[in-house]
Amino acid sequence: MKRTQPHTKIHVHTLSCGKVYEHLCENMDAKLDSASCRRIKAHIKGCTNCSALLDSLKKTVFLYKKYPAPKLPSRSRHKLFAVIKLDGQKKSSAR
Amino acid sequence: MKQQTEPLTDAALISRVKQGDERAFTALVKRYEQTVWGFAFKLCRDKEKAEESFQDTFINVYRKIGQFDARAKFSTWLYTIVANNCLMHRRKRKLDGLMESYDEAPDPENESVQKQLAAWDDSPIHTVMNKELRARMDEAIQELPDEYRVVFVLRDLEDRTAEETAKILKLSVPAVKSRLRRSRIFLRHKLHDLMAA
Repeated sequence: MKRTQPHTKIHVHTLSCGKVYEHLCENMDAKLDSASCRRIKAHIKGCTNCSALLDSLKKTVFLYKKYPAPKLPSRSRHKLFAVIKLDGQKKSSAR
Repeated sequence: MKQQTEPLTDAALISRVKQGDERAFTALVKRYEQTVWGFAFKLCRDKEKAEESFQDTFINVYRKIGQFDARAKFSTWLYTIVANNCLMHRRKRKLDGLMESYDEAPDPENESVQKQLAAWDDSPIHTVMNKELRARMDEAIQELPDEYRVVFVLRDLEDRTAEETAKILKLSVPAVKSRLRRSRIFLRHKLHDLMAA
């Protein structure tokens, strides 16, 4: 993977973990290429703490995404159509 | 040879529903039922409440379809109705008391919390997604105040953009971003001891 170079070394060193922390989770996978984004990415690359935090945040989201959600119970649709007096089992022409 | 008919667009279905076509409404329900159910379940984390919200949402759609602006995105309208239903059904919690626990999240500049930032286990998902982790995930997301959980679910689980989420919840985009950031940090913090390598 091509490494993103920071604007200058000074920028990397002056950017604090706290500042990175504020922006860390806003766009975790953003491929934005603004100067501030490049500085944040450069900081993360060189900072064990920030990089561990970013990694764990991504894994948190991933775990919730993979958490299996139950399927809609078939009775739910029948119940709905019964309440609003529709026959959902009719062969619909409007698909 | 039998010709395949193209499915009607949302706009075409809605237009038919507005004219009283019940079959069009049935088709609309079938198209969006899993979206509504899934979103309601992720918000309520309870099958019974999700079921209630599912019913209420489509009943609302049926009754209020006349008010739907055809230029708007139907799914955005649906998400708004589900979110309002779910949030209405839950006890409104005061954020102030809960924000304290949000601040338990580690400050990366503080050396004493470096242990908490230890890298997370890289094991494949199927090996870590056990009963204990699921229970912890359920517990953690239910601890999030409704106003935060709905942002997390819309942005991260339903993949809505910050702009659409803001529109659904009638919030500003910066407010959505701030709530999302705090929600992710909070959830991550709650799972940390189970996930640290």
